[in-house]
Amino acid sequence: MSARATGYFRPGASWLHRRNPVTKLMALLWVILAAFLLPPPALVGLVLLVACLAASVGLLWAVVRSLRVPALLFASILLVNAFFYPGAKDALVSFGPLAVTREGLTFGVVSAGRLLVAFSASILFLFTTLADDLLEGLVERGASHRIAFVILSSVQMVPRLADRAGAILEAQQARGLDVGGSLPSRARALVPLAGPLLLGSLIDVRERTFALEARAFGARPNRTAYRLVADPPLDRALRWLIAAATVGVVAVAIARPFG
Amino acid sequence: MSAAGSGTTTGSAAGSAAGSGAASGAAGVALDGVSVRYPGRGDAALELSLRVEAGEFVGVAGRTGAGKSTLALTAGGFVPRVVRARVAGTVRIGGVDGLASGGSDLAGVVGIVFSTPANQLSGSKPTVREELAFGLENLGVPRSEMDGRIDAVLDRLSIAHLADRDPFALSGGEQQRVAIASIVVMGTSVLILDEPVAQLDPAGSRGVTALMHQLAAEGRAILCAEHDPGVLSATDRCLVLESGRAVALDRPGAALGSAVQGPLGLEPPTLVALAELAGVPPDRAFDEAAVAAALRNLSAPSRARLPEPRGDGSVAALGWSPLRREATPTIAARRLAHRYPGGPEVLHGVDLVVRPGESVAIVGQNGSSKTTLAKHLNGLLRPDSGSVEIDGSDIRSTAAGAIARTVGFVFQNPDDQLFNRSVEREVAFGPHNLGLDGRLARELVDRALELAGLASVRAVNPYDLGLSVRKLVALASVLAMEPAVLVLDEPTTGQDGPGVARIGGIVEAYRRAGRTVIAISHDMEFAASHFERIVVMRAGEIVADAPPAEIFASGSETLLASTGLVAPVCARLGARLGLGSTPTMTDLLARLRTSADR
Repeated sequence: MSARATGYFRPGASWLHRRNPVTKLMALLWVILAAFLLPPPALVGLVLLVACLAASVGLLWAVVRSLRVPALLFASILLVNAFFYPGAKDALVSFGPLAVTREGLTFGVVSAGRLLVAFSASILFLFTTLADDLLEGLVERGASHRIAFVILSSVQMVPRLADRAGAILEAQQARGLDVGGSLPSRARALVPLAGPLLLGSLIDVRERTFALEARAFGARPNRTAYRLVADPPLDRALRWLIAAATVGVVAVAIARPFG
Repeated sequence: MSAAGSGTTTGSAAGSAAGSGAASGAAGVALDGVSVRYPGRGDAALELSLRVEAGEFVGVAGRTGAGKSTLALTAGGFVPRVVRARVAGTVRIGGVDGLASGGSDLAGVVGIVFSTPANQLSGSKPTVREELAFGLENLGVPRSEMDGRIDAVLDRLSIAHLADRDPFALSGGEQQRVAIASIVVMGTSVLILDEPVAQLDPAGSRGVTALMHQLAAEGRAILCAEHDPGVLSATDRCLVLESGRAVALDRPGAALGSAVQGPLGLEPPTLVALAELAGVPPDRAFDEAAVAAALRNLSAPSRARLPEPRGDGSVAALGWSPLRREATPTIAARRLAHRYPGGPEVLHGVDLVVRPGESVAIVGQNGSSKTTLAKHLNGLLRPDSGSVEIDGSDIRSTAAGAIARTVGFVFQNPDDQLFNRSVEREVAFGPHNLGLDGRLARELVDRALELAGLASVRAVNPYDLGLSVRKLVALASVLAMEPAVLVLDEPTTGQDGPGVARIGGIVEAYRRAGRTVIAISHDMEFAASHFERIVVMRAGEIVADAPPAEIFASGSETLLASTGLVAPVCARLGARLGLGSTPTMTDLLARLRTSADR
């Protein structure tokens, strides 16, 4: 049995964990909006803001660690733009036919910075927000509980498919299937492994219909909710603050000449 | 998902209010002249009239394919709304039209439980408690009532300790109890169950039976299809189906007696068979004390005339000898410990040595790590500490696919391995993997099909067969490899009487051929009848390891109960009669006969 994958969620009771998930979602969207609309120097402030938030709940190191993979993306954006920014003239350093241009370097740093802010804020959000809470919070505000169910069951589907694939691998090995070794032998192992996974998933769909029918899913219009999503007064105040800040960011963006 | 709204054009608040109003007036199920035909099948799957009144607990017995599941689906309002079929006649469920009503009318009126747990769970809830709340949410039950109702049901099923666990991290038996709780908590006036205890240990099975009995006493109408005589014995009336038609509807002692079962080619449950031998009337045939008293009072001449027990004939008929010569090895686990990644240790230094030609049953409550232990024996799992040895050599660095030559493993769920378009091709998969082809492979396949009783369906697609037959296909696919050591995980789950006898016969045949059989089982009668050694597990440790006569001797009740087990009925009767340890019917009848001499 694998542990349940609740996405990236790190259980905890920090002040950030205790915030209403919708408040956090709004804050996340604001940070991403600000990263793309505010003048580039603001990125420094936004990076610091996300880092301080993460540090305040003891997740700074965890966020940094999980940026290892996207860091490759940031680096490639930086390099490609530094060398190949179209129409750039102001060369800073030359390597034979290639040159790092001022325009390219600036654009690369800003683009990578925007993605860094968006990624790290999203990761911090996922670390501190349980998917079940977020969806229940959205359903409370009028989102469809059917769509919420589809999202939640898809999230759980991944570890269950992995469990199932593991069980199939074991069952076929127990019938003497060689799953290692040469490429041809691995290729031969594909049908016995993929076949039951596919057939099993089809049976699964039928039985899932049974399960949902038996549990009266969608039978009544007046669905109630068991999960309580806390919404303290502080959150309401925060949401007004974020709404005001959003207006501010948009106003700055409009006032600022593009380019 | 797509079926949730189908046919519910009138599904409105007014409709569901009318539904629940009618439910309180006329609870119960009434099928009148019902016939159900599945598309593409000639014969009707069900032709029946049946009434289950409020407060009544009705059982449904019959061999695999007799129509039990079709009856459950029909009485549960799933036919033709969810499962497509042509239906004639009328079905009233809790006062609601079961054939024409939509999901909104039937919701809250009828609950239905199936036999496999994982697919009864919503698959979207992180804890057992929220899983139970799912149905209540859908019914619109106020939040303030939910915790009370959930706690009450968790308590009744003795699973309060699982409340905050992840449903998908539980063992199969635990999940099944959660699935049952998830339906019971909805508080429907009608409850339909299709083989609800197939996955449960004996204590769990008794608990569910007692719950159904109580729910009926509280005024619910309960219809339960089962093979387990323990469940059927607790019913008020028992329906026996054959080819979709009612053969009998009577008190369980009569419906399961030889007068009804004999003509169907089936055997009565052990207790009923003994009751008949002792002359106990059918309505007390499941009363252990009454049967014990009647056996005690049998005169010496009647005792001496007691027959050899039934069943042995079918076992002896399975003559089998291996085509492939292979020496049977000793297989040994030494100080074996295991933990799953990120979890606690689940096996705590287990020692087990199985010598060539032994037959060993591993028993113990749901979640006691029986399967984890067994998966080490063929290298599917690797120990965290300790070792597994085959003939003295550590299998640490041998691939599982290579060990399969020697140690064959049949999984509990056949759907994790079946993928070929015919039974024959499926069974040929194992020999092919071993590099065997041509005439030898064909002969191995033929003999495996014969041994598993599948010769008549060799050309059929496995997925057109029922789950219990698919299990036999998976078994045959390992038998065709003729491994020297055969490991079976819950082989009898969901099998009817002939199916269990068939598997028992295979175990005996294998052992007679000098090969080793190791089986995990919750069926104590099966374990006592076909295995010479029983290993009792509790929470990742072996707590007893001895022949059945010793494991099930009187005085061991506490040990057995500590791991969810109950001695088989013949052992209990032998203890009552002071005949010593008699785990099987053969033992019990033999003791009764010899006691006549004294």
